[in-house]
Amino acid sequence: MTLVGLAPAPAVVAAPAKWETSVFAKVPAPGFPAYVHAHTNGRVYAGTYAAVEPGTPSRVFEWSRTGTLLRSWEVPGQQAGAEHGVQVANQTRSGLLVVLDTSTSTVRTLNTKTGRWRTVAHLPGAVPNYATWGPGGTLFVTDYAAGRIWKIGRHRGTKVWFTSPALEGAAGFGTTGIVFRKRERDLLITQQTTGDGGGVTPTQGFLYRLPVQRGGRPGALETLWTSQPTDLPDGFGIGRRTGHVYIALAGLANQVVEVDPATGAEVDRFPDAPMSGDNGSAVPFDTPCSATFLGTRILVANQSAIQADASHQAILAVEVGEKGRKPFLPRRPVFVR
Amino acid sequence: MTNTTLSRRGLLSGAAGAALGTGALTADAEAAVLAGTRQGSLPAKVDVVVVGAGIAGLVAARKVARRGHDVLVVEARKRVGGRVLNHRLGHGDVIESGGAFIGPTQTHIARLAERLKVPTFLEYNTGNSVYVSSTAGRMEYSGTVPPDPTILPDAAALLAQIDAYAAEIAVDAPWSHPRAAEWDSITLGEWIRSNALNADGVENLIRCWSQPGFGADPNELSFLFTLWYVACSGDEQNVGTFARNSDTANGAQERRFVGGSQLIPLRLAKKLGDIVALKAPVERIVQKDRHVLVHTGRGVVRAKRVIVAAPPPMVLDIDWFPRLPVRRKQLLRALDMGQLMKCDAIYSTPFWRTAGLNGFGINDAGAARAVFDNTPPDGGPGVLLAFVGGSTWRTYGVLGKDQRRQAVLEGFAAMFGPQALNPVDYVEHDWTKERWTGGGPTAIHAPGSLVEFGPAIRTPHGRVHWAGTETSTYWSGYMDGAVRSGERAAVEVLDRL
Repeated sequence: MTLVGLAPAPAVVAAPAKWETSVFAKVPAPGFPAYVHAHTNGRVYAGTYAAVEPGTPSRVFEWSRTGTLLRSWEVPGQQAGAEHGVQVANQTRSGLLVVLDTSTSTVRTLNTKTGRWRTVAHLPGAVPNYATWGPGGTLFVTDYAAGRIWKIGRHRGTKVWFTSPALEGAAGFGTTGIVFRKRERDLLITQQTTGDGGGVTPTQGFLYRLPVQRGGRPGALETLWTSQPTDLPDGFGIGRRTGHVYIALAGLANQVVEVDPATGAEVDRFPDAPMSGDNGSAVPFDTPCSATFLGTRILVANQSAIQADASHQAILAVEVGEKGRKPFLPRRPVFVR
Repeated sequence: MTNTTLSRRGLLSGAAGAALGTGALTADAEAAVLAGTRQGSLPAKVDVVVVGAGIAGLVAARKVARRGHDVLVVEARKRVGGRVLNHRLGHGDVIESGGAFIGPTQTHIARLAERLKVPTFLEYNTGNSVYVSSTAGRMEYSGTVPPDPTILPDAAALLAQIDAYAAEIAVDAPWSHPRAAEWDSITLGEWIRSNALNADGVENLIRCWSQPGFGADPNELSFLFTLWYVACSGDEQNVGTFARNSDTANGAQERRFVGGSQLIPLRLAKKLGDIVALKAPVERIVQKDRHVLVHTGRGVVRAKRVIVAAPPPMVLDIDWFPRLPVRRKQLLRALDMGQLMKCDAIYSTPFWRTAGLNGFGINDAGAARAVFDNTPPDGGPGVLLAFVGGSTWRTYGVLGKDQRRQAVLEGFAAMFGPQALNPVDYVEHDWTKERWTGGGPTAIHAPGSLVEFGPAIRTPHGRVHWAGTETSTYWSGYMDGAVRSGERAAVEVLDRL
């Protein structure tokens, strides 16, 4: 009784131009998306990283790859009276979502098949921001509040794995995106500002490279690119063909910058003019926070963190003309259930 | 962001937009589709049973089946389509007795219809509308401005406020809004009376939207539910607005389907073939550790998962083991179907068009409170449609057919002249008398139920998942919501198979 022969005829669509931007989906209240996760199941997930109303629980949303809102989950057990938010930062190979909760400084998993939540790590005092899998199934988590990178390992549990004055943000603008490059065995890390004088001005941010040595220890931090003042580099994606890094600039620029990590050169910025965020879509860039590949587009979480304009809190799809590098998903992550 | 332009035609036509409302498959072709459904005994075992062969159930079944799983759709009626139902006028012309309209941002039903080769046509919208007032008499008007100055200022202000509130509502969780409890504790009517200068006047106007749109009056609707319904009148890219819900041009009543909207479920059923079993009402659902037994009027089917795509109150009629969770049961008890019927008068020609009228009218009294041109796309015969809902249904729905017919025709005549008193035919469909729907166009929340029980709306019950337009996060109550809900339920089930 299975059904065959219902496939629709393929449509012929002209390839979009580079930087062509559209609204993938508006993010329902409480809004404030900061990262978008493109799951191996073909769907897209995002959490709400802040909440204007103290008592409103954070939520995790699920969309189809075409932007249809499918399901949502309320985050349980938050300290919702204080600042609170969640980031769907990654997934396990088995499909569990890895969710970072800022109110409890915890790493949790969400099983979207059952709706079951599980806390897998506690990062005391941290504001967990982004997470990437690394060698040995470990999970690296950036900490927006302090200049450190956490590692959730198999045997030694959770610990601060790397600290550096270069990760100390100025005025609270700290460490943001982190992606492990398996071939290079390194982490690419974005830093919004530094208080250590690494930039010409404290408001300049960076794209760093941090090797992961064979023994698991961090190597020497290297600066690959320095932003313009007040750019506030945030989450990023890596192109598969070029290796270029597409970084959302959450600061005054309201742009996406394309950087060649091999040379540190800026390849392009979009939109051409900073500030306005005018990307040609119905929603301008307004605190664009991340760039996650979905096909040849990057999904940008538009947070509107300062204006808190709910009509701007959306996921924007920006064509970049290449697919993204496949995220590293270990076979045996430190938490597997 | 939101369009606060007030459209009287829009305000009232919104009523028509909900799942009920008015293409062409011949009777023989339709019979062939139904004959292609499963005959004889039902299979003893499938992967997924879908309860209900409305659009939601058929969409869910198609999506699951396309992934290679065995599916069976069990439908209580001897037809498919649920709240979508065609009526043949003869000579191949069709009008709808159920859901009819499609508008902007309803991309899911639009995509489905396109795939099934069911085209749309623009609802006739040329010429003047008619307004009949018990105090001011009959007047024709054009454009979007209502002719009654005693109502317009209130309506403009209230609708702008509704849009502003609705923009704050999370479509997936309206109960999470900081003012949800406050808004869910009052009715739309109470809110109007607290915020309008001429409350009676504007409430009467909004009644002309709520009666066709919900089958209910403002006094029966939770204000939070109303705001959520408006918030749902959009999509992932466009915030819902009252105007998009209520309007014809650029609104939910913009287009109809050539051949009638029931062509969509009929063509889906044709593709599904013997996956669909008619006249198989579900009596009992028993969940075991590793499977579910679905007891129907045509036998028992064992499945790994079940999708129930039936109007919420109908779910209570099923004998559940284990019993439904308390919260879900309370939710279902709190949901009532609206009260609505559609009354169509058929004329040899759409005579009002030659008089420069678009066939749309509203009346602050009588049986025909909101009237539409329901003429088939080729321009003939002429059809006028009255939605009789809410308190108007409670007055006229209970009359004998002849008395009601007379009242409806007098309402048409008050708008379009005495010629309206002499139709060549008159047909009506009362959804409150539909055994397997129980009313229409949608289930409504009275005050106090959405915050308390709403979060249970999509929560699976063990191996049972929920579809149906009421479970949708956009265009709940509409065909688009039905498609969306079926797709979402299929995703849930496919994740678990």
